[in-house]
Amino acid sequence: MGVIQIENLQKKFGDNAVLRGVDLTVDKSEVVVIMGPSGSGKSTFLRCLTFLEEPCDGIIHIGDYKVNAGGKLDRSRRQTIRELRKKTGFVFQSFNLFPHKTALENVMEGPIVIHGAKPDEARKRAEELLIKVGLGDRCNHYPAQLSGGQQQRVAIARSLSLNPTVMLYDEPTSALDPELVREVLQVIKDLAREGMTMVIVTHEMNFAKEVADRVIFMDGGVIIEQGTAKEIFEHPKEERTKKFLTMVEE
Amino acid sequence: MDATIIIDSLPSLLKATLMTIILAAVSIVIALVIGFLTAIVRIVKIRVLTEIASVYVSIIRGTPLLVQIFVIYYGFPQIGISLDPISSGILALSLNAGAYLSESFRASILAIDKGQMEAAVSMGMTYWQALRRIILPQSLRIAIPTLSNSFIILIKDTSLVSVITVTELLQMSSLVIAKTFEPLTIYLTAAAIYWVVITGFTLLLDNMERRTSRHLVR
Ligand SMILES: Nc1ncnc2c1ncn2[C@@H]1O[C@H](COP(=O)(O)OP(=O)(O)OP(=O)(O)O)[C@@H](O)[C@H]1O
Ligand SMILES: [Mg+2]
Repeated sequence: MGVIQIENLQKKFGDNAVLRGVDLTVDKSEVVVIMGPSGSGKSTFLRCLTFLEEPCDGIIHIGDYKVNAGGKLDRSRRQTIRELRKKTGFVFQSFNLFPHKTALENVMEGPIVIHGAKPDEARKRAEELLIKVGLGDRCNHYPAQLSGGQQQRVAIARSLSLNPTVMLYDEPTSALDPELVREVLQVIKDLAREGMTMVIVTHEMNFAKEVADRVIFMDGGVIIEQGTAKEIFEHPKEERTKKFLTMVEE
Repeated sequence: MDATIIIDSLPSLLKATLMTIILAAVSIVIALVIGFLTAIVRIVKIRVLTEIASVYVSIIRGTPLLVQIFVIYYGFPQIGISLDPISSGILALSLNAGAYLSESFRASILAIDKGQMEAAVSMGMTYWQALRRIILPQSLRIAIPTLSNSFIILIKDTSLVSVITVTELLQMSSLVIAKTFEPLTIYLTAAAIYWVVITGFTLLLDNMERRTSRHLVR
């Protein structure tokens, strides 16, 4: 059984059906890369998994938590969604670091607020995590004093601070200058090697070839085809995939 | 103009200044509470409270402060609420400033990028935790310049309370003038005192703003 199990996920914005029944199972330690043209619903899909968007239909199962879409937002459902989020790290394209907190405080925030950790413990753990992402010397910098690549690595450390079961990334390097992309991808690769279960929306094909156990091509709110990076990039079966790949490779 | 007149009247004027400062300080504190709660109620949308809050803001913003003072001091006794002049003044000033402050708070909360709330709740924080730890500290910093503007207006508005016989700085000036027949000297002295109080206050807030925006300075 997968760590992530999504069944028939559907999402509409008004009349606009953005997700039209997506099924996905991700095994433990598996790295799944999602690609697809702009507007195909990739971000919406990831956001629905942690209920940043409320899906219209479907079942979301991550780790020990299972939530049906479209239920009433009562106390117990909100509680379950929160528990699910604690175990699901989410990395945003725009980092979304807390600008009034230092790098260290950003990474300490979760353990203190969510787990009720003591400041000393939280600090120690945060320092370890920042060292892990190569920013041991930037602990006391504010986000505004860090480059985009450094900010995104702090954001990854922040997600890791809650010991997530899975990590979701929505175009983690799209907002970065080209020369800063590598340092972020390197951190994600290290996590892949350690066995972290991850779903990554990205346009970085070389990165996908290196880390992805599976590549999913999405368009029009459905999964068009999936397979190993080699299968998808070198021998795509579907017309739409081929068209997308020739566009990206240009 | 005669310096001895200034010196002679200064003790009374300074004593009345104390009343002005007390009126302003108490009203600011109450207005901050009212303004903050009103803003939260309007943002979080707590059923009927939200409607009450918008009606309150609309009434206060749509009517002159002097009329509000009269309604509270002269009008309320008719429905059994009799307040002494000072309490009436404080109530009017707080309700008035509270409405304006709530707009500043609201704008400053809405100005925070929605990614901040998303980052916080996606870690598993509740809405309130996210508001308290992530959103409010940032919006407060944004709000300080407009808050300090409202505070300055409130300090000036305390002079309106003189019409319901509260002996604050302006009222005392008029009393002194009735004895000395030196309106220019005394009113200019009063103006100078207002200037000192307001400037001192502004410096204090500027200082606070600088300290809270340290993280934005490279
Ligand atoms: N909050 C929203 N309200 C209304 N429509 C939305 C909202 N968010 C997304 N959409 C619509 O849903 C569709 C899919 O958007 P989504 O952001 O999921 O695409 P994407 O695959 O992530 O694209 P990109 O590669 O540009 O990031 C788009 O047509 C978009 O306009
Ligand atoms: Mg997107």
